[in-house]
Amino acid sequence: MPHSFLVIDDSKLHHQMYRLIFSRGELAASTLYFATNGREGYGLLAAHPELTLVLLDLNMPEMNGLEVLERRRAEGLHPHVPIVLVTTEGTTDDEARGRRAGAWEYLRKPFQPADVERLIHRALAEAAGAS
Amino acid sequence: MGGNENPFGDLLQDYVLECLPLAEQVADTFVELERRWRADDPADAVIASLAGRLHTIKGNSAMMGLAPMREVAHALEDACGLLGQRPDRRNDAAAALLVTGGGLLADLVRNASPELDPAAADRYVERVRQWLASDAAPAADSQPERRQADRRAGGGAAGAEKAASVVRVDFRRLDAMLEVLGEGLIQHSALAEAYREVARRGGGSDEMDRLDQAVIALQKTLKRLESTLMETRLLPIATVFGRFPRMVRDTAEAVGKRVRLVQAGGETPLDKAVLDRLSEPLVHLVTNAIVHAFEPAEARRRAGKPEEGTMRLEAAPQAGRVVIRVSDDGRGLDERAIRKKAEALGPEGRSDESIPLRNLIFLPGLSTADRVSTLAGRGVGLDVVAGAIHALGGTIDVETAVGQGTAFTLSLPVTLAIVRSLIVEIDQERYALPLAHVAETVRAEPDAIREINHRGVAQWRGDLIHVADGGAVLGTGQSRSTPRRFYVVMAAGGKRRGLLVDRLVGHQDVVVKGLDPELGRPDVVSGTTILGDGRVACILDAVRILEGGRRAG
Repeated sequence: MPHSFLVIDDSKLHHQMYRLIFSRGELAASTLYFATNGREGYGLLAAHPELTLVLLDLNMPEMNGLEVLERRRAEGLHPHVPIVLVTTEGTTDDEARGRRAGAWEYLRKPFQPADVERLIHRALAEAAGAS
Repeated sequence: MGGNENPFGDLLQDYVLECLPLAEQVADTFVELERRWRADDPADAVIASLAGRLHTIKGNSAMMGLAPMREVAHALEDACGLLGQRPDRRNDAAAALLVTGGGLLADLVRNASPELDPAAADRYVERVRQWLASDAAPAADSQPERRQADRRAGGGAAGAEKAASVVRVDFRRLDAMLEVLGEGLIQHSALAEAYREVARRGGGSDEMDRLDQAVIALQKTLKRLESTLMETRLLPIATVFGRFPRMVRDTAEAVGKRVRLVQAGGETPLDKAVLDRLSEPLVHLVTNAIVHAFEPAEARRRAGKPEEGTMRLEAAPQAGRVVIRVSDDGRGLDERAIRKKAEALGPEGRSDESIPLRNLIFLPGLSTADRVSTLAGRGVGLDVVAGAIHALGGTIDVETAVGQGTAFTLSLPVTLAIVRSLIVEIDQERYALPLAHVAETVRAEPDAIREINHRGVAQWRGDLIHVADGGAVLGTGQSRSTPRRFYVVMAAGGKRRGLLVDRLVGHQDVVVKGLDPELGRPDVVSGTTILGDGRVACILDAVRILEGGRRAG
């Protein structure tokens, strides 16, 4: 089954970066969903329980990354979908808070395509182990 | 992140597209901050509004491997963080440090490249480090709060947009698409003309009705395609306005004045080609105003005006064009000095009271005169500004009131690629005259045009205007047996002039094609286009025709 990913980030530049990352190798067949704020992203998450992985930016207008995580936990929405919280350098306390709010992993900018690929492989392995 | 090539290097333009507006907003906000602090306004909300933008620039720059931008954004973040906590450190020196950094950041982003020289950024970051350390109170305490503000402020500009994606397109490709569209429009005209011809001969039938409908529907579709394509070429005028807050601040400071800049309408869209050529004339007008128009603080106070001058830069779409107003609340133009100077220039500047000031102020020679600029408080190179605006197919006008200020109003076409034109016929050839410079078309009644000093002169709206023969202007005119039947009154920059033509064919949006540089180019022709019947027509340069007064008349 082809994979599908959701990117929630207010930066169009980052959308382009993820597009680049997901255009390589086996990932090229994946379906990508993009949202520019947390609210929109939450809606897409609700609509797509089949998502392989979500990349969620921390700093966003209209519902930031932490708020998305907290709301998901409160509403128990698709808890099996792993969410990666994307942060910018030097914000370790945010990462800890993200974990507590239900983030599966975090990714710190600046990151390389290989970092994202590693996370995806880990998520797939964990999903295979769980089923 | 290693010395290797950045994996996202191809996205450099996307980076600039996203970060430049943010960086310019940051730079403008610092200018605003400086102003507020001088007025003893702590402006806490202004400082807080910066965090999200700086954070985004920092993150994006880091991802792109652009260390200088990342470092400068980071330094500014730290400086703002400290200032947010410590009102006592908000002073002129701090403001100047921020303004410098904002300008540097915008410049770096504007010229983003992996080979960027990091020296200026390094020096600046060091300055900030010293400034941060120049105080005993620990700056580190402010960190958690700062990030709170970060999250609250969010990305601002990027906010409410939908999840549309951006595709990078070479501008030349848009030009090529426009050219193809132009051919489509031409083919449509040919089809419509053929239809009309058949209809004239044959008359109505069901098939003819259907054909008629199809031709009309095709035109609507092409028009829609045209406007969609035009939209893709448009950028907000803020891309030009963006440099003014800093420029106004720096210029005002250099001449020891206090000037506040108020901007409006930055979202107004304009063709990139127009924007590229608009910046310089605007800078000229604004610099002029700051240097000459605003009185010293003392004089302003005596006149009952606020000591700080107000410079306004406003844009708005208006009937398919864009109107830009550049105004000041300075001393106004010294009409007497300008008229006196104009008279000295000879007949062009002939200055009885009936000639409005705006007809004189843009005259070459007048404006460069130092005497006038000191007497009148204004007037360096306004002819140059007017020339640049006219060359864009625009118009410029001025209003002034002594003691109250001066306002320049520019009207510009949204695009240079398509020109709304009046098609005329002169000596069996067709020409396109940009409608922006057409004031009126007049039937040339016998005896309406008299000859004075070997030049045709006609009465028009209570004025005497020169009327030139189209054939003479274009060099096609032979001795004619029949007089031409119409004249077109053209106007720009206060000049008016009639051009005699044989026929008025109609209005048409023409797609501008450049001139083949190999071909000799008459100086009154600005480009070519293809008309509905497939014939090539020259687009006439109204401004040149107006300028070429004596020689061609």
